[in-house]
Amino acid sequence: MKNRLIPWLMVLPVLVLFLSMTIYPFAFMIWSSFRQYDLSKGAETRFIGLSNYFQIFSDTTAVESFKFTAKLLAIAVPVELLLGIGVAFLIRGARGEKIIRSSLLIPMMVPAAVSGVAWKMLYNYAFGPVNWFLSLFNVSRISWLGDMNYAQLGIILIDVWQWTPFVFLMIYAGLQSVPQDLIDAARVDGADWGRVFLHVEFPLLRPLILVALVLRIIDCLKTFDIVFMTTWGGPGAATHTYSFYIYKVGVSFGWNIGYASALSVLLLLVSMLLVNIVFRLVRMRQQLGFGGEGE
Amino acid sequence: MRTILRVLRYILIAICLVFFLFPVYWLVITAFKPAKEWFTWPPTFWPTQFTFSNFFGAKETEVFGGTTGSIENIFPYLRNSIVVGVSVSLIATMISALAAYAIARYKVGGAFLAEWIISIRMLPPIVSAVPLYVIFSRLRLINTWWALILSHLVVVVPLGVWLLISFFREIPREIDEAAYVDGASVFQTFFYVIFPLSAPGLAAVAVLSLIQSWGEFLLALVLTNDARAQTLPIFLGRYITGWRVAWGPLSAAGIVTMLPVVVFAIIAQRYLIRGLTFGAVKG
Repeated sequence: MKNRLIPWLMVLPVLVLFLSMTIYPFAFMIWSSFRQYDLSKGAETRFIGLSNYFQIFSDTTAVESFKFTAKLLAIAVPVELLLGIGVAFLIRGARGEKIIRSSLLIPMMVPAAVSGVAWKMLYNYAFGPVNWFLSLFNVSRISWLGDMNYAQLGIILIDVWQWTPFVFLMIYAGLQSVPQDLIDAARVDGADWGRVFLHVEFPLLRPLILVALVLRIIDCLKTFDIVFMTTWGGPGAATHTYSFYIYKVGVSFGWNIGYASALSVLLLLVSMLLVNIVFRLVRMRQQLGFGGEGE
Repeated sequence: MRTILRVLRYILIAICLVFFLFPVYWLVITAFKPAKEWFTWPPTFWPTQFTFSNFFGAKETEVFGGTTGSIENIFPYLRNSIVVGVSVSLIATMISALAAYAIARYKVGGAFLAEWIISIRMLPPIVSAVPLYVIFSRLRLINTWWALILSHLVVVVPLGVWLLISFFREIPREIDEAAYVDGASVFQTFFYVIFPLSAPGLAAVAVLSLIQSWGEFLLALVLTNDARAQTLPIFLGRYITGWRVAWGPLSAAGIVTMLPVVVFAIIAQRYLIRGLTFGAVKG
């Protein structure tokens, strides 16, 4: 008890792990972001100031990847939120609630590499079930992963498939904690279903919806596996997400560590900001037992 | 009117279930299709005959356009996934528990340390992938199990620490104090008193760590380059981006990759949901 060293010894392994595996790499990353550092052109580096950062805005593929990532945020995330909320209300109180809930978990549990395989088969131009389904409505075959616009839509659809269950689960769990007598009271006062939702359930769910939104934004910025597995960023640069573009610059294409680092620093800053917001929303400090705001 | 609404509701539920489950169904069913039914129009929704040849290969399997007919060569990848996953799971549980106990009981490092550790979980993996590649190549660790174990630990430990802090906080302090009064040291208290009491939490952390390591894609992709260290998701990735796409074996490999994760995830769903939402949902 009196020995203050022992608790520090206990966190030591984790501390060493994170110092060596995150702080050091991040420091290295910031350092290389100010340098000309291209492994494909040799190992020597030289200081070039902010050039790597300026390059981002004149690089058309980078801008392209900004745009697609923005599309994912602007289309996939709201759809997931609305659909997730809708499904939560739909399932609540239905027969077989528990089984339905568990099966809806599956899309977000399946490793993304595996869902990538599944969707690539579904989207197959000549033999895929998606085109078969559309043919029932006399829609002619669509080149889901080969056409620019459809490829973007295709990725968005996979993201919706994979992450709507996440929103659903949060909202569904939130609904369970809405006190039934509150709803009953509103009913007795003559409120219809719509009013109960608007004036009772929605206000109680609002904080949860906000957390879901920010968590989805954070995850959206990480989108990589699905793109790698299905379109590999193509056609052209149409489905490059920001993370995928960093991968291409830093690893698969150029080994341009300097430029990839500059791109990464930008992403890291945005993510850190968002993480900060989430921590406030879920009251992380209180959860961890570090008391109220004053501490 | 009421019955119409009821019927409508169950139709909508059915549509939802089909949308969310069909891709997985398709993968599973394709894994058992004979080669001639991989590519058909209309697609084969129920194979005329179920076969295991996609898994084990068969002497008479026709080779489809020069593709591999089965996943017999998956074993090195399976081995790598198991070695990495189990090591990550054991090490992560151990070090997360130690750190979480020190933070929960002694407030080591204050809110700053705890928040810093947990925030690491949310950072995009690509951000660390590039510098880690450079660092690991200097250490000659590229394409080894250690590269994956170390980098996966970074991904899984934050969640473990977070879950266990909330677990340890639920164990009354009086229990620790009783142990101290009886003359136990901090470590003895931790190992003989707290450890057994938090067995469900530790098991959850072990399972969650295994799941995350098993499915992790980006770091494994960047830090390994052949069958000596590549894991199952990379096996899938290599096959699908090449021209040798054979749906049957690819789906079979998908099942091997997915099955343990789905099984464990359903067992540990309560903690998984808690962890994924950072306590916004108690699950």
